[in-house]
Amino acid sequence: MISKDKEKDLQQPQLLSIDDDYSIIRQFIEGDKSAFQVLVKRHKDKVRNIIYITMNNSALVDDIAQDVFITVYRNLKFFRFESQFTTWLYRITVNKCKDYLRRINVRKIFSPIEDGYEVSEYSIPVENKDISKIVMDAISKLPAKLRMPLILKDIEGFSYQEISETLNCEMGTVKSRIFRGREKLKEILQPLEKELMV
Amino acid sequence: MNKDLRNLELLSAYLDDELSQSEKAEVEKLLATSLELRKKLEDLKKVKQLANNVKRISESPFFETRLLASIEGQKNESSRIKRWMPAAALAIVTIIVMIVMKYNPRLIDQVWEDQKVAIAGFYKENLQPVLVAANLNNEDIFNFAFNNELPLDDTRKQYLLLGYDDSGKEFFEIRSSHQRVDRGSYNEFISAMNLDDQQKHTVDSIIGSYSKALEAQVLVNEKNTIAINPNLWNLRKAIFADLLVAAEKLNKTKFDRIVPEGITDAEKVVVVNTLTKLKNSSGEQYIFVTPDSIFSEYYKFDPVLANEELKWAEKQIKYNEEKVKEFTLDIKYDSTFKYFADSKNVHSFKIVVDSNVCRVDMPELTIPEVPIPGIATIDPLIEQATNNIHFYAYKIPKIEKSKSEIKIQYFNDDSVYSYVVEYNTLNIDSLVQANSGTDLYNLERLKEVRPFDDTMLIKYQFDRDYYNRYYSDDEFKKEMEELQKELQQLSKDLKNQKVRVHSEVTKSPRK
Repeated sequence: MISKDKEKDLQQPQLLSIDDDYSIIRQFIEGDKSAFQVLVKRHKDKVRNIIYITMNNSALVDDIAQDVFITVYRNLKFFRFESQFTTWLYRITVNKCKDYLRRINVRKIFSPIEDGYEVSEYSIPVENKDISKIVMDAISKLPAKLRMPLILKDIEGFSYQEISETLNCEMGTVKSRIFRGREKLKEILQPLEKELMV
Repeated sequence: MNKDLRNLELLSAYLDDELSQSEKAEVEKLLATSLELRKKLEDLKKVKQLANNVKRISESPFFETRLLASIEGQKNESSRIKRWMPAAALAIVTIIVMIVMKYNPRLIDQVWEDQKVAIAGFYKENLQPVLVAANLNNEDIFNFAFNNELPLDDTRKQYLLLGYDDSGKEFFEIRSSHQRVDRGSYNEFISAMNLDDQQKHTVDSIIGSYSKALEAQVLVNEKNTIAINPNLWNLRKAIFADLLVAAEKLNKTKFDRIVPEGITDAEKVVVVNTLTKLKNSSGEQYIFVTPDSIFSEYYKFDPVLANEELKWAEKQIKYNEEKVKEFTLDIKYDSTFKYFADSKNVHSFKIVVDSNVCRVDMPELTIPEVPIPGIATIDPLIEQATNNIHFYAYKIPKIEKSKSEIKIQYFNDDSVYSYVVEYNTLNIDSLVQANSGTDLYNLERLKEVRPFDDTMLIKYQFDRDYYNRYYSDDEFKKEMEELQKELQQLSKDLKNQKVRVHSEVTKSPRK
C-alpha cells in the first residue's frame, strides 16, 4: 500500500516527475490496485480538461474520460516504460476525442436542414456569453487537426516535443499546425474583436 | 516553403520559446527590421493569451468513484459482455450516434474521405441475407424475377426495385410499400401458363434452387444498411430466363403464345451457362446504402459462416425460449437521403429522392459483365415474355383505333375473341344488342343505351387499373378524354337521329 503521505504528495500534478508515474504503475502491475486510483487522481483534471475543450461539450466529458481511464486500466500491464506515461495517456485521450468527434461528424448529416437555416461557419452569438465561452466556441470551430495541437499548447502548456509524441506527428507539423491554428482562430474571432477587448 | 510563411511559423514558435538559438537570433533580427512582423507577433500573442484564459472545466467530485464502480462492474460482467460484445458495442455506438443526431451537417465530405474505412466497417457488421432476414418465400423470389422487386424486411414496408432507364443503364430504387406498383405475380404466371398443381410444384423447386445464389446478393442489417451486389441484375435475368426455359417444357402451347418466336437452342445454352456461372460466383464489390452515405465497397460474404451463425442463433433462441423478433428496416427517405440529393457528395452515385422513393443510378462499370457471350439476347426475350404473361394472365384486350373503327381483341384460354366496332354503326349495334327482339322504332319501349353501357367502354373501364399501371396518369387521362369525346360525338349522332321521333312521343299532356 502507498502511505497516506506519499499518496498526498503524488496527488499534486505540478510536482510530477516521470519516476512518480513509473513507480505507481509498477505498484499497480505488482497487484496494488489502489495505485490506479492514485494515477487517476493525478491526471484526471488534465484529461477531463482536454476533453472538455476539444469537445466543447461538458455533458460528454465524464463519459469520454471514463472511457480513457478504462482503456488505461485494461492496458496498463502492457506499459513498457519507454516513454512518459502522460504521453501515452494523452494520446489515448486525443484518440478517444477523435473517435467521438468522428461519430458526431458522421451523424451530423442526419439532422434535417431547416428552411432558411443558414449560419455562417464562424458565426458565434455573443449575447450572454463570457469571453472564455466565446473563445471555446471559436476553438471548437477549428478543424480537428489544428484544434488538437492548439489546445495542447496554448491551454495545456505542452511542449512541441510532447505534442508531437502525443499526436504522433513530426515536430515541423506541430509547429506549422499551431501557427495555422492561431491564424484561423484569429480569423474566427475577428468579428468579435470589440467584445473580446472589453 | 514560402519564405514569408516560414517566417510566420518561426514567429509563432518564437512566441512559444521553441526555437533553437540560431533560429531565435534570426527571428529577432527580422523583428528588429520589420514593423509588420512585430505587429504579427502582437496578434499571435493576443490569440495565445485568449486561448490561455479559457476556463477549465469544474471538478467532478465523484469521477473516481464512478470510474472504479464502472471498472468493477465490467469485471463482474466480463464473461457476459464478451458474449454480447458486438451487440453492446453497437448499442453504445447507436446511442451515441442518436444523441449527436441533432448537430448540424457540415464538413461531411472531408470526414467521409477520412473515415470511409471505419464507417464502412461499422455498417458491414452483422450483415445477413435479406432472404433470411425478411423471410422471403418462393413467391417473393418469383416476383423478383418477374417484377424486379424484392421486399426488404418482414413487414414488407419497403422494397428494393431494380430497373433500367431509357438508355438501358441500371438503377435501383428503395420504395415504400404504398409506392409499390403491383405489376403481376406468381399467380399471373401460373394462370397465363395454365399450370396444374404438380407443374406449379416443379416451378417451385426451380425457384427454390435459386435461394442459395440469391442469398449473397442482397444483405441487410439492423443498422438500416442494405448491401447490394451488382450481380443481382444479372441473376434476376437468369432466374427469369430459366423459368422461361422450364415453362416451355411444362406447357409448350401456352409458352408459344408468351414467346411466339420460341427460345432457340443457342439461347438455351446461354441460359444454362449463365446460370451455372451466376449460381457459383458473385462479385465481392457491394453497393452499400446506409444512413450515412451510399458507397461501393469490397465485402466478402461467407455463406457457410452465415449459415453457421444462423444455426447458432436459432439454437440460442430455442434455448432462451425467446420470441423471434421481426426484422424491420426503416429507411427514412427524407432524413437519410435528403442530404445526398442536394449534395455533391454522392461519390459517383446519382441519387434522386422524394419522400417515398430513393433512386440510385448505378455508376459506370459497376455491373459485372457476365463473361458469356449472348446474355444480352435474353433481354428482349424477357421483355416480350413479361408483357405477354401480363397480357394472358389478365386477358387484357388489345385495342386498335382507326378513323373509322375500333378493333378490340382479347384472349380467353386458347381462343381469340375479336370485335370490330365501326363508329358509324356503333350506336345502332349497341341499341340492337340492348334491345334484342324489340322494334327499334318503338321508342317508348326501347331501353336507353347510355354511352357508358357500351361494351367497349365497359371493357375499357374494367381494364383501367391495368392501364393505370402502365401509363402515366396524364397519358391515361388524355386517352380517356379522347375516348369520351368520341363517345359524346356518337351519342350526339344518335340523339340527332332520334330527335324527330322523340319530340313526338315525349309531348306530355298539359295539366
